[in-house]
Amino acid sequence: MSARRILIVNLTRLGDLLQTSPTVAGLRALHPDAEITLLAEKNFAEVCEAIPGVDRVHRIDLDHLGHLLLAGGSRVGEAFHFVRNTVAELRAGRFDLALNFSSSRMSAVLLGLLDIPDVRGWSMTSDGFRAIQTPWARLFATLCLNRRVAGFNLVDCYRGVAGCLSTATPGLSFTVSDAARARVATRLDAAGIAAGARVIALQLGASRAVRRWPIESFARLAHELAGDGKRIVLVGGGGERALAAELLQACGSCATPLVDLCGQTSIQELGALLERCALLVTGDTGPMHMAAATRTPIVGLFFGPALPFDTGPYGTDHVVLHAGVSCAPCDHAVHCLDPFCRRTITAELVASVVRARLAADWSSLAEIGTALAARAPVRLYRTGFDARGLFDCPVLGTVLARPEDELRRAYRATWLTLLEGVPLPGARSTGLVDVAPFAALAELARLGTELTARLDRLVIDAARSLDAVQRVGREIEVLDRAIGEHGRVHPDVAVLTQMFAFEKETMPGEDLAGLTKESARLYRDLCRSADCMQALLGGSGAVGEVDHASIRQ
Amino acid sequence: MARTARSVALPDPIALASSLHRLLPPMRANEAIFADNCAALGARAPALASRIASAVVPPQHVLTWTGDGMPLLSVNGVALQHPADPCGDGTRWARGAVERLTAHGARRAIVVGLGLGYHVEALAQRFAGAIEVAEPDPAVWRSALTARDLRALLARIEPGDGSGAGDVAAQPDGAPGAVRVLAHAPSLLRADGLHRALYERLIARSGSSGLRLRILVVSPIAGGSLPIARYATRALARLGHETRLLDLSAFHNSLNELALFDAKAARRAELESRLCGVLGAGVAATAEAFAPDVVLALAQAPLDVAALDALGRTGAIRALWFVEDFRRFTYWQQVAAHYDHVFTIQTDDCFAALRAVCDARLAYLPCAFDPDEHRPLALSSEDQRAYGSDVSFVGAGYRNRRLALRRFLDQDFRIWGSDWEGAAELERVLQRSSARISSEDAVRIFNATRVNLNLHSSTYHDGVDPQGDFVNPRTFELAGCGAFQLVDQRSLLPELFAAGSELTVARSAGEMRAQAQHFLERPDERAQIAGRARARALAEHTYEHRMQALVAAIVASDQDRLLARSRPPTFADLAAREIGPLRELLERHPARAPFALDTVVRGITERAGDVSEEEAIFLFLHQFQELYLGEART
Repeated sequence: MSARRILIVNLTRLGDLLQTSPTVAGLRALHPDAEITLLAEKNFAEVCEAIPGVDRVHRIDLDHLGHLLLAGGSRVGEAFHFVRNTVAELRAGRFDLALNFSSSRMSAVLLGLLDIPDVRGWSMTSDGFRAIQTPWARLFATLCLNRRVAGFNLVDCYRGVAGCLSTATPGLSFTVSDAARARVATRLDAAGIAAGARVIALQLGASRAVRRWPIESFARLAHELAGDGKRIVLVGGGGERALAAELLQACGSCATPLVDLCGQTSIQELGALLERCALLVTGDTGPMHMAAATRTPIVGLFFGPALPFDTGPYGTDHVVLHAGVSCAPCDHAVHCLDPFCRRTITAELVASVVRARLAADWSSLAEIGTALAARAPVRLYRTGFDARGLFDCPVLGTVLARPEDELRRAYRATWLTLLEGVPLPGARSTGLVDVAPFAALAELARLGTELTARLDRLVIDAARSLDAVQRVGREIEVLDRAIGEHGRVHPDVAVLTQMFAFEKETMPGEDLAGLTKESARLYRDLCRSADCMQALLGGSGAVGEVDHASIRQ
Repeated sequence: MARTARSVALPDPIALASSLHRLLPPMRANEAIFADNCAALGARAPALASRIASAVVPPQHVLTWTGDGMPLLSVNGVALQHPADPCGDGTRWARGAVERLTAHGARRAIVVGLGLGYHVEALAQRFAGAIEVAEPDPAVWRSALTARDLRALLARIEPGDGSGAGDVAAQPDGAPGAVRVLAHAPSLLRADGLHRALYERLIARSGSSGLRLRILVVSPIAGGSLPIARYATRALARLGHETRLLDLSAFHNSLNELALFDAKAARRAELESRLCGVLGAGVAATAEAFAPDVVLALAQAPLDVAALDALGRTGAIRALWFVEDFRRFTYWQQVAAHYDHVFTIQTDDCFAALRAVCDARLAYLPCAFDPDEHRPLALSSEDQRAYGSDVSFVGAGYRNRRLALRRFLDQDFRIWGSDWEGAAELERVLQRSSARISSEDAVRIFNATRVNLNLHSSTYHDGVDPQGDFVNPRTFELAGCGAFQLVDQRSLLPELFAAGSELTVARSAGEMRAQAQHFLERPDERAQIAGRARARALAEHTYEHRMQALVAAIVASDQDRLLARSRPPTFADLAAREIGPLRELLERHPARAPFALDTVVRGITERAGDVSEEEAIFLFLHQFQELYLGEART
């Protein structure tokens, strides 16, 4: 059924908001007459207003709320009323569909307050428990906990939550204004950068220090590229000005002068600037997603917690260098005392990748990838979309396959089969992954279907067979604990067991018969998913090469 | 019960008279001044004027004059104004009062305490609103109306005795009826507590101070003050203050373990000092986190100058209750200057000594007892046998006790307590090999003993100290237990207990022995005296009484500072501003508990059932706080 008023909740930052743009486009395609509202933090409203398809932006001033709570005292009362008023304003929107892309308890509580009939993503039940609505939202939550084998880009997860995976993918979108273009042109003219000049932008900062490539590496890179005659522009927010100063000092004199625009561009101007650039070198940052939106080629430097598979630049023909060290990806919550992974991506390597990409020399890039694989844990990836229009980033060059690559591929195929009805592809076993845990999981799931079948027979006359019902219920509890523990003991199956746990906690209703049937379905799905994985991973064989995946041009 | 140290030094009468004659115009006779004042008062408050006209000024009310001829009044040694510059002092008070009145948009001030009116005159010159003066002592009114021409002031104010103090119900700031209650600090420090009681009553009704203090009590590592720290903490909590005790007795072993280093005495002392330095730093760190309004240190608490300065930087008011003999424990000389308030169990000489080294506000605050601990017990026969005797003494083996208590060796006599090593002649009656006696056992002993000896300690007398001043905790504890005691004479004892009827006082060890023999044969007399002592103790000498006086003294002098400190609102504070379901939700929590989101959320998550909209909003705020403000809050 077509929705009339859609609310998208995304209380995050620049990059995440831009990553919502394909979903907006998909929703627009599915619900052409709907009014689409984006709820965003006040400081990022400008981003939302430039996303095609967004009709309204509802700003929430979280800074103000923070000040009230920090002030404490009677101002907590003001904070209460601030939230109450916000809820009232949102309720007045009379939304009939809400998508929560802020996977947080806070946003879940908010969605629980809004009384919207169709909520997808994190929400709160009437009795205060978390509920992750829709399978794609539960899968996204699952993959966030198992990122090593996450097979989908965040953007496609959003699209899945919205139910618009079948719509065409325009990539990320951001409408740059002519006024911003004019201002940027003036700025670049003043810096001696003529229209048509090949400008390379360097994004120095990142949201966390662990995601930041060392400034001395940026400095060597800038030196090299300037030596090629390229004009280098430093981009970033006000927080990066100190980094820019550090880079300029480290660089010394370059063949061509560097232009420092850190903290000097609005979001619109950043977009306009990136449009003028031939390429952006960046970590996993908001400007990276902006460059994807403006179709600026990207050389992405991914290390630490960053993974190209789930947060890689959503577009075609971007190159991502990923430091695939054994401890990658690290958890967002840890504080690494020795981020050595950053040093595996050298300035010389990045310079060679930049040169090849500027020349669109994919053969050279493949050679670089092959050579890298022999001596370093760094891999090169080329972004694009598969035949179904889902983001993919196959490796560049010839590299040794790794178990996580197999698992990622298998999980991707399994979920597309289970959630989108895509036929399961044929097995492509390399024998790298032990399938026994999947077989064991399938057995546990079958036990679950047996128990629920028994329960189903008993609930018909629950009043008379209460003891038996309770006994079976306890057995099911024991089984569910065993399934959870199986996932902890065998991390390769953790995606399935975690997804199962999320599915179980979201079972609706309190009617025993209904819950029994729903449980039965979940055990069957679990069994099926384990069987799919076995089929995709099963068989044995020598360690072999991994081909390029097909890339939709 | 607190007595100020600010006593007036009487001028040389001849010099005064000649200077007055030389410098001042002739003064009208006091009677004429009084008559004129009464006429003016009668026009405003006839009933009060009538009471004042018949009031008798007791001899404790002493009128003197400054060198410039300004009258000064002291009551029971408490000077009610600055001894040299009463007008200037009154002006300073009035300026602060006007700031408070203005800050709260008050249209009406109630001043508790008239003194001689200097401060009220200064206030009247600066504040346009109504001024009500509540002076509950008619003798003060009479003294003031006799000493100074107050006709202009009487026409300006609403004079009263506090009994009909105006409507002081809590009003929002700036409301037409917004009122502030102001304290005349010297009046509050009068020993009889008359003004303090009135002030507290008015404060409670007006809610204008809203003072629920946050108090950090710091104990010593060991010694007699240690249990007092615990009693004080309990009393403060019962009085409604948010109180926390830092019981540093946990470090007693650490102090003893320094012996491991086998150091020479001087080095050992240095090591102990360093350990105390660490403990003091720990107290300061606690204060940073706990953010108390007041840090109350008991005597011997390991707070050195660095720690006290650090505490001062937190904004906390630093108070010391020095429950020791200032002559024997002299460390106060190094630290007193770093306290804001020093409360002592001795007076004049002690005040003089302290005044020489510090500007802290000084007040007399005797020891007390805890009714929950020191109480009559019905002992089993087994306990009676174990703890009882005709005569007993509980305490440490100081010199004078070792000598004086020999006189009781021919009695059914027991000595309990520590530090009796070497008292060979008393070994036969010494219980538990000179082990320390717990407070609980002491109470059993008091209850089980027919005649308890209470001989104050001395390191250099043979028996009774003829100059002994302070009254030890044991006096109050025995009284609280309803246990009969013989106590040696102390100069500060008469104002605490009536000798003869409530306590039996001995002037010498010999007299104490004779009294013991006398009262051993008179159980009824013992019971009556002990009963009256207990009644007096319950009425005036509990730790709650002491802590109430302590807090009142601090509040009287530092009310502005305390009110200026931000404090979290209570659930009642927030509820008062709300209506409907939100108010009901807030009222589910203890009214006086500080509001905390965590508390609200805990209540929600512990409750089954659907979450209301108000509850959900608090959950949202809590999650927002966790997500965005986690580091900022620490």
